[in-house]
Amino acid sequence: MSAVLLRVDGLTKRFGATQALRDASFDLRAGELHALVGENGSGKSTLVKVLSGVQAPDRGSLELFGRPAPLPAGTKAAQKLGIVTVFQEVLVAEARSVLDNVWLGVDGLLRTRVPAKAKRELATAAFAQLLDRPPSLGTPVEELSLSDRQACCIVRALLREPRILIFDEATASLDVATRDRLFGVLRRASETGVGVVFITHRLDEIDELGDRITVMRAGETVKTLDRGAWTPPELIRLMSGSDRVTGQVRETAESGRARVGAPVLRTRGLRLAPGRAEVDAEIRSGELVGVAGLDGHGQYEFLEALRGGERAGGEVVRLDGDREIPIHSPRHAARHGVAYVPRERRTALFDWMSIRENFGMPTLSRDARFGWLRPGATRRRLSRYIRELGIVAADSDDRITTLSGGNQQKVVIARWLASDPRVLILNDPTRGVDIGTKRQLYALLVRLAEEGLAVVMLSTELDEHVELMDRVLVFREHELYRECHRAHVSRNALASAFFGHEDGDGLA
Amino acid sequence: MAWREAAELLRRYSFGLALLLTLALLIVNLIRSPDFGWADQLASLAPLAIAAMASTPAVISGGGGFDLSVSPLMILTAGIYIVHLEPNGLGGAEAVPILLAVGAAVGLLNGVLINVLRVPPVVVTLSMFFILIGANLEVIPQPEQVDLTWMQYLSGWVGPIPGALLTIGFPLLVWAALGLVPYRRALYAVGSNDATAFSAGVSVGTVRALAYSLGGMFAAVGGIAVVAVTSTANASASQTYTLLAIAALALGGTSLWGGRGGLIGSALGAASLYLLGNLFVTLNVGPEWLQVIYGTMLLVAVVLVGGAARARPKVA
Repeated sequence: MSAVLLRVDGLTKRFGATQALRDASFDLRAGELHALVGENGSGKSTLVKVLSGVQAPDRGSLELFGRPAPLPAGTKAAQKLGIVTVFQEVLVAEARSVLDNVWLGVDGLLRTRVPAKAKRELATAAFAQLLDRPPSLGTPVEELSLSDRQACCIVRALLREPRILIFDEATASLDVATRDRLFGVLRRASETGVGVVFITHRLDEIDELGDRITVMRAGETVKTLDRGAWTPPELIRLMSGSDRVTGQVRETAESGRARVGAPVLRTRGLRLAPGRAEVDAEIRSGELVGVAGLDGHGQYEFLEALRGGERAGGEVVRLDGDREIPIHSPRHAARHGVAYVPRERRTALFDWMSIRENFGMPTLSRDARFGWLRPGATRRRLSRYIRELGIVAADSDDRITTLSGGNQQKVVIARWLASDPRVLILNDPTRGVDIGTKRQLYALLVRLAEEGLAVVMLSTELDEHVELMDRVLVFREHELYRECHRAHVSRNALASAFFGHEDGDGLA
Repeated sequence: MAWREAAELLRRYSFGLALLLTLALLIVNLIRSPDFGWADQLASLAPLAIAAMASTPAVISGGGGFDLSVSPLMILTAGIYIVHLEPNGLGGAEAVPILLAVGAAVGLLNGVLINVLRVPPVVVTLSMFFILIGANLEVIPQPEQVDLTWMQYLSGWVGPIPGALLTIGFPLLVWAALGLVPYRRALYAVGSNDATAFSAGVSVGTVRALAYSLGGMFAAVGGIAVVAVTSTANASASQTYTLLAIAALALGGTSLWGGRGGLIGSALGAASLYLLGNLFVTLNVGPEWLQVIYGTMLLVAVVLVGGAARARPKVA
């Protein structure tokens, strides 16, 4: 067995209420290609950020080349240790040339560490390995395609001659040809003793490239498997943790299944990205519809389209009895009873205003008489929702920021409920909300659906789909990949669909 | 299509607009007043041109980079020279390193405060603007005149060349020299995308702080240019160049969002504003119209240059 390059033990990291890493431990051997897999939010990216010096962990230890080492503080420190990372975001200095970009940070501020001539030659050689048609080194990076920009980031990493090379979903932005050549480059690098860690959501990449694989779930490294010791169903089971107990809310939600009514929203020939297949979906009143998929696979675009925002093609139609109303803008959608609760609370809230003002914003005109606002009227309307939604607030004149995240979220929901919507669209409403408040929100959504509201909710948590939804729309590569009905919704089925694995249903 | 190509040219050579304007205005000026005195004109231009150049590194460093304290810093260095150095026998060449050090130190303080306090640069440098105006009133309680010193050559001829070319040329030379070491590339990269620069291991904070320090040092040169042309230090002149300098650098093609532009553009931007003012005087147009034209030009320039920067080829 080859020498161990890197060993991390017991890393933990907490961001506010979220425990991003609970216990991450794994080792990387010289010359291996080590895949790191897991669902969204399982802690992969946080682990990578700790290793690359972007974030300091709360606890945990690091061993490098067989000796205990301090965890790197700052990207510069990590790079001194020989750890170089290519991040998921395409990090380029847009206005600068290709050459400047790939050598960025190598020189000091006054001292040139690599002579200009060597820079050109090494960069040219590195690009030749990676691209069929390398860009001219003088071109500003902003003129390159996304794939070529990411190639610049990869070349930047390779030029540092790392001992440990980390790819955080860095292949997502690459075109197919570059990806294939990158795999060749990585194999050659590993033959010289470089250890490569790569995060990916694609099972085919793992199969093609991985010598070993470490699975993460909920901030923990669950298991490390050798090549040949894994099968896709086994990986999916490990990632989704379907042996975990679920289904307490499920029973409560089971009660009102017969409530689903007439269609209220329909998409016709909707395209979430140019050149992708059309999405034809229907939302019915009284229905809880989950929107799921790996990050960036078109779920967000789907919600945007439903609320009347931008779309690559096709239309969204609001159905009201016999009337069909094509929705052309978010404002128009809101007027016809489509309410939207955005993902970022700070885009939905007015931080410096009171709870009451935040609640009343879009429906203020109801509280006016002869053009004069009556705060008392707003307060009365709000008190009803404070009761019904269980909003914990001392005084509705307090600033909205005095509330906890979950309660702020409820105020946003109350705001839109007050506009009597027929469709409520929520974008990951329970993110960063504690478990108790989550339960309350679930119960609220079920009750609203029972009252005939159509609820469409994007969630990044599999459990929410399993526990709550009548139907889950799984998106993959900006297409509606699979529609799972309640009877077939399980963590396994969803995770399989996420990763484009066909026989997910059989796994449960 | 011609429009696209023009936009492309403007993006590559961001000072192109200012260069064309300067040349056009220069020709008109020369036609209107054939006895255009080069040395005098350059000397009167110098303070504004240097103020614009001194403001530029901070803007290029990105992250909302801005240095409002340049103008009062110029007057402070002028005051230190006239009130303290010259009367105490330090009025010779030895004054130059002292003044440059004062300017660089104030600039560095700006940069360090921005990094340490993590407040927007506008806030820090606006505070510094007020502090320096106060300091100027303390250093120069009433306007002080200086008798003939060597500095006045900088508003006349030094051998065959106009003296003002030395003051205007100094920042340009330093800037060019910085192009020979990695610093300037790092500065542009930080301004273009600081997250990228950080992830690549560039010391973003240090690079930014040095940009402010560099601007402060250039401001000291501006102070010398003020003494050269006016022979006076006057605290009430503290704010003279603050806003015009920013207009000039924007006109010169430096992106207010950082990462693009340069000192040559700022100098040319200042030259166009100066020549336009000149022209208006010879045409007997009221100064109120000059301000309106400045404002309009600034707006048009930022829209044109910014638009050119955005009109990049579509990414597949």
